Amino acid sequence: MQPDNNDRSVEDSIDRRRLLQALGAGGAIAIAGCSGDGGSGSDGGDGDSESGGGGSDGSTQSVQFLTMGVGDNIKQFFEENNAAFEDEHGVDVEFTSVTWDNARQTVNNRVDGGEAPDVSRWPARWIPQLVGKDALEPLDDMMDGEFGEQFYDGVAEGTMYNGSHYGVPWAASNKCLYYNKDVFETAGLDPEDPSLDSWQDMLDAATQIRDSDASVPALGLAGADAIETGSQYYHYHWSHGADLVNDEGMPVVNSSGAVDALSLYTDLHLEHNVTQSSPLSSTRQDIRQLFENGDLGMVIGHVYTGLNITAAKENGDVDFDYGIVQVPRGPEGRYSLFTIDTLAILSQSEHKDLARDLIRFYFDEERRFQYSKQKGFLPVVEAVGERSYFSESKNWGPFVEAGQYARARPKLGNFSEFNDRMVQAIQEALADRKSPQKALNDAQSDLEDAME
Amino acid sequence: MSLAEEYTETSDDSRLERGLAYVQRNSRAYLLIAPAAVFLLAVVGYPIIETFRLSLYQSPADSNIETFVGLQHYVEIFNSDIFYRLLWQTGRWVVAGVAGKTLLGLLIAVHLKGDIRGRKFFRTAFLIPWGIPYAISAVVFRWIEHPQFGYLNAILLKLGIIEQGIGILGNPSLAWLGVVVADIWIGTPFMAIIFLAGLQSIPQELYEAAAIDGAEKWHQFRYITLPQLKSVVLIATLLSTIWTFVSFDVIWTMTGGGPISSTATLVIHIYQVGLQNGNLGRGAAYSVIGFLFLFGFAIIYLRIYTRGGDEL
Repeated sequence: MQPDNNDRSVEDSIDRRRLLQALGAGGAIAIAGCSGDGGSGSDGGDGDSESGGGGSDGSTQSVQFLTMGVGDNIKQFFEENNAAFEDEHGVDVEFTSVTWDNARQTVNNRVDGGEAPDVSRWPARWIPQLVGKDALEPLDDMMDGEFGEQFYDGVAEGTMYNGSHYGVPWAASNKCLYYNKDVFETAGLDPEDPSLDSWQDMLDAATQIRDSDASVPALGLAGADAIETGSQYYHYHWSHGADLVNDEGMPVVNSSGAVDALSLYTDLHLEHNVTQSSPLSSTRQDIRQLFENGDLGMVIGHVYTGLNITAAKENGDVDFDYGIVQVPRGPEGRYSLFTIDTLAILSQSEHKDLARDLIRFYFDEERRFQYSKQKGFLPVVEAVGERSYFSESKNWGPFVEAGQYARARPKLGNFSEFNDRMVQAIQEALADRKSPQKALNDAQSDLEDAME
Repeated sequence: MSLAEEYTETSDDSRLERGLAYVQRNSRAYLLIAPAAVFLLAVVGYPIIETFRLSLYQSPADSNIETFVGLQHYVEIFNSDIFYRLLWQTGRWVVAGVAGKTLLGLLIAVHLKGDIRGRKFFRTAFLIPWGIPYAISAVVFRWIEHPQFGYLNAILLKLGIIEQGIGILGNPSLAWLGVVVADIWIGTPFMAIIFLAGLQSIPQELYEAAAIDGAEKWHQFRYITLPQLKSVVLIATLLSTIWTFVSFDVIWTMTGGGPISSTATLVIHIYQVGLQNGNLGRGAAYSVIGFLFLFGFAIIYLRIYTRGGDEL
């Protein structure tokens, strides 16, 4: 599997309690009855749809489908299935993929310009902003009915905003801690029982690697000017009892727990020197790539990191063994950043029924299985999650278990601005320009102004 | 008589009469450029006016509702520290970039004009950086300077000059230099070609006469080449200044404006505020300020240039 740019793709919006309900205390993807008409996939809809392809004037109807970050590993999936949908419905699917870097601007431009696609995929955290612009069609008719029953409850909740569903869960992801068994062995650590339960355990192991003959950095730390730097850091933040916003949606980023968390994050580099050089140059993709090349001791990553390494090993490109454990716990618990992408219908669409047909088509169980498997995202459909492929896999098992630690970033209309400011605070501390306390105090002050 | 002279040293009445007469004399020319002028007004004039209008409104990312706020954005911008930091960073970026491109371009042009072996090859080769899309060049430079994967660090490590990779683009003090180097590399060929064209238009007789009079190479360059190149240099640097000021893709691709906004320029900030964070009103206000800066710069620059009576 090729690495792609989809680290950012599955975004946001589910709270831990809901996910616990959904995934069960044991953490396994729950067994439950599944699937209404979602499993049928190609049945052409629920009867209210424009099942025929021709327009009233005899021309072929088309449905515009916009998505992001379609890498080589999933391109064929979309090509084949779009063609199948076109054959079944006698319509054209105008499929467009944009990079994640351009995604938000593309969506906003098309919505503001009155040229919105019929169906689009995006992170669930964009929902508040798009609902504010009246850009999204409520999909309660689908999600409250038989179709909606196929999803894990907690995941389905992630597409809700102001009491309505504004999307269908498309994909989900969370994080675990990868470690390089060869590096651990070289450093005299037990690769089969790495003892990486807490941040302190992780630091102890990293220190031992640093002082050993291992020739690679012990730990990957993201610090570049990118949204994912926040994503990596929030594990530390939450596990120290800190939050990003309070119940009223106001920023609370400079609590004592937050200061402890940022102090730990920066000390890993500045004091303990256990990270790769220049974390401020490194995006999450950079440190993931380092680990996938065998050039890093530990990194927090998605399931597709393991899938990529497995594929690379099969191709003979790399030769090292790795293990996956849960993200370390802090004084106030353990969290794994959980993110959701949704598939939505735009309110500007003139083909809403056809758009619903397209969504139902893509939620055929086998299609969902192929998508999760090829793309490396957690299944959102229970029937797919039950398959042994996931629960018995070395790569997938820990991520399924991590469901119990899932936590999403808050749903904010201006989350991008919020996150940018947090990344700046992280960078200021990492560059030793400000103390963690000062960096977070300044961030708190700026965010309060921005949220007013 | 030049256009500048035509409108100076005249009384108001005679100026009006002469202006009308000028338009009458050149009516056909005005007629011919009218379609292009109308087109330009539509595609340039409208966005400018719309940007001005938008800058007077509060336009949050999560709403279709625009609220008139008058000059509030401008007041807040001028009262913010970040604006003055952006001005400094933009000025630094433009001055270093344009100076680097001008000096290197001149150096290359002078050498390409000489009778060197493989001159045709070098003339073509030096154009290559300009022919590569800026974003691709920026990606290449980002990788060259990358602390773990980059050639620069790999070479320095191999030579034993450093012990671990240096993250130039991750250093808030050095990152802007890492980006300026890429910009200079990309923009120098244009300057070199323009200067080369200017050099080739200088009569050879001037150099021959100077040589007979005993002028050395440096004196020929100082008293013949540079004065003769004046108009070319001024136009090239004016264009380069505008292009560098509005340059976006190199910085965005290499650093995204970071770390800690240390490589952000006014243009990068406009994108972040207006398009990334969806605050169109504030972004538009920054755009207007940037536009006025450039507009003022161009007027002052051209006034200085036409003071001597030359015409573009």
